Amino acid sequence: MTTTALPTTRRRPVISRRPLGATVGVQVFLVLLTLAFLSPVVWALVSAFKPAASIISAPLAFDPSALTLENYTRMFADVPIGRGFMNTAVVLVIKGSVTLFFAPLAAYGFAKYDFPFKNLLFGTVLITLMLPTIVLIIPLLLEMKALGWVNTYQALILPGAVDAFAVFWMRQVIAAVPDELVDAARVDGCSEIGIFTRIVLPVIRPAMAGLAVLTVMNIYNDFVWPVVVASSSRMATLQVVLSTLAQNITGNRIDADYATVTGELLAAASIALIPLLVIFILLQRHFINGILAGSVKG
Amino acid sequence: MTATVAPPAPIVVEPTPHRGGKSRLRRAGAPYLFILPFLAMFAAFGVYPMIFTLRLSFTSWRGSGAAEWVGWGNYTYLLQGEAFWASMANSAVLWLLIVPIQLTIGLVVAVLLNSAKVRLRSFYRVAFLVPFVTPLVAVAQIWTVVFDQRFGAVNTALNALGLPDIGWLTTSTWAKPTLALLFLWKTTGFIVIILLSGLQSIDASVYEAASLDGASRVRQLWSITLPLVRRTLLFALVLQTLAVFQMFAEPFVVTQGGPYGSTTTAGLYLYNHITRADLGTGAANSFLLVIFVMALSLLFVRLLRSEDK
Repeated sequence: MTTTALPTTRRRPVISRRPLGATVGVQVFLVLLTLAFLSPVVWALVSAFKPAASIISAPLAFDPSALTLENYTRMFADVPIGRGFMNTAVVLVIKGSVTLFFAPLAAYGFAKYDFPFKNLLFGTVLITLMLPTIVLIIPLLLEMKALGWVNTYQALILPGAVDAFAVFWMRQVIAAVPDELVDAARVDGCSEIGIFTRIVLPVIRPAMAGLAVLTVMNIYNDFVWPVVVASSSRMATLQVVLSTLAQNITGNRIDADYATVTGELLAAASIALIPLLVIFILLQRHFINGILAGSVKG
Repeated sequence: MTATVAPPAPIVVEPTPHRGGKSRLRRAGAPYLFILPFLAMFAAFGVYPMIFTLRLSFTSWRGSGAAEWVGWGNYTYLLQGEAFWASMANSAVLWLLIVPIQLTIGLVVAVLLNSAKVRLRSFYRVAFLVPFVTPLVAVAQIWTVVFDQRFGAVNTALNALGLPDIGWLTTSTWAKPTLALLFLWKTTGFIVIILLSGLQSIDASVYEAASLDGASRVRQLWSITLPLVRRTLLFALVLQTLAVFQMFAEPFVVTQGGPYGSTTTAGLYLYNHITRADLGTGAANSFLLVIFVMALSLLFVRLLRSEDK
């Protein structure tokens, strides 16, 4: 790359000399893509407030005067969605807290201490990160059966609670914390656990925020493990409740029922979307950081 | 591979010098206490089940009674039967429908969002990620409603344009593309973000130099951007290959594997062994799938790395 200096075109080189037409075309393309990405969600959120019959007779029409809450009231009556929300909330709070405390704690142990077999242990963790999670489903289910944990909170919470990926990520983050900071606290008489809770955790707060939103998203959206291990109506998480609703629809393809079930389905889907959508919009920066780091998981 | 998107941090941990003193014993014990909760869970719910699956895959077991040792029986049963290959073929077709399109669109959008001239960049970034953060089950439900043959919004729109209905989820021709569309819609924003992070690590002065040399935008994309984001692209390719071959919840909710088994993906077929309590075969199927996906990933890494020379 030889640079023959042309001082006149030196400023803003990345976007230099682009014809105006291309820029307009680019904006149109991006707007259309945005519509494609948002329209199914927006359509569902809006349609859930339409009378059930018109959702299927005129799916693209919108009549603001005919808006109704009937889909929601019927859905709350027919579907144990409150139970699903509660189960998800219990799992989210406990599993989330366990992950957010014990993963960085283990990561701290790996990052700032030296002990025999450390690298061997950490290497084993890394290898399992590369294996697809489905390999574990059958034996984990059997393990839960042997423990008598099928359809219990333990089964929903404990497997995967201290995620190997979270440890891997936090170890990288904590390794970047200066050793001087840790040593200074030690000289000041801080206990080993005190160094972690009072020095390390505050310093890595941005990464912890990323880990927190990623963890919330993963637990809230988790479906495969809950549907395998906790499919009873009492223990079903929100996503499992939602998925059985879909099977009811395809089981009841009679026209009269279809409208009602579709209305309820959209109401249930909307109400499941909204919490995460709100968190995402409020915490988008942390979300994007978390997703980027989380993509290492595979 | 991971270095392209992981937070930049030194990987090597320097050993903390032991300087003696009263706290020495306390310090020596601390790391064990810190990693113990993680290790206990990792052993119980990670390592143990993994070893258990391997053993299980050589037995015939229906969930109760004694397991019967069948050697390679489960593997030969799967490899010689049609159903396993059909599920792999379904996933392979889905891969073809998804991954090339996704990486192309993802790269184009990422390049556009990386350009300073495009307005509302952070808005687009958030809008494109909405599908990715919403629960899969909920959007899969919406898919069944929107693509319903008789009452769905898509066919209504087609009819309004004077076009005939399409059996999006009811014909084996269209079920795969419809599922592929769901997957594309759900995850392309995520790929954009990954590729964008790769693009942002490219030094702007490289473009400056090329621009001064009179290289066109297309030429710059081809000769500078592509080679420099190759690692990130490779990463996205491997990630999505794993995801497509493990795809389970989408067909489980939207099509239940039908019509005529056309959307019984490798992941769903594996799950079906569990529902039939055919656990030995399921375990063998897990390992075959893992081996296949790992081999494919290694192949991609090889192919794309060799181009570096």
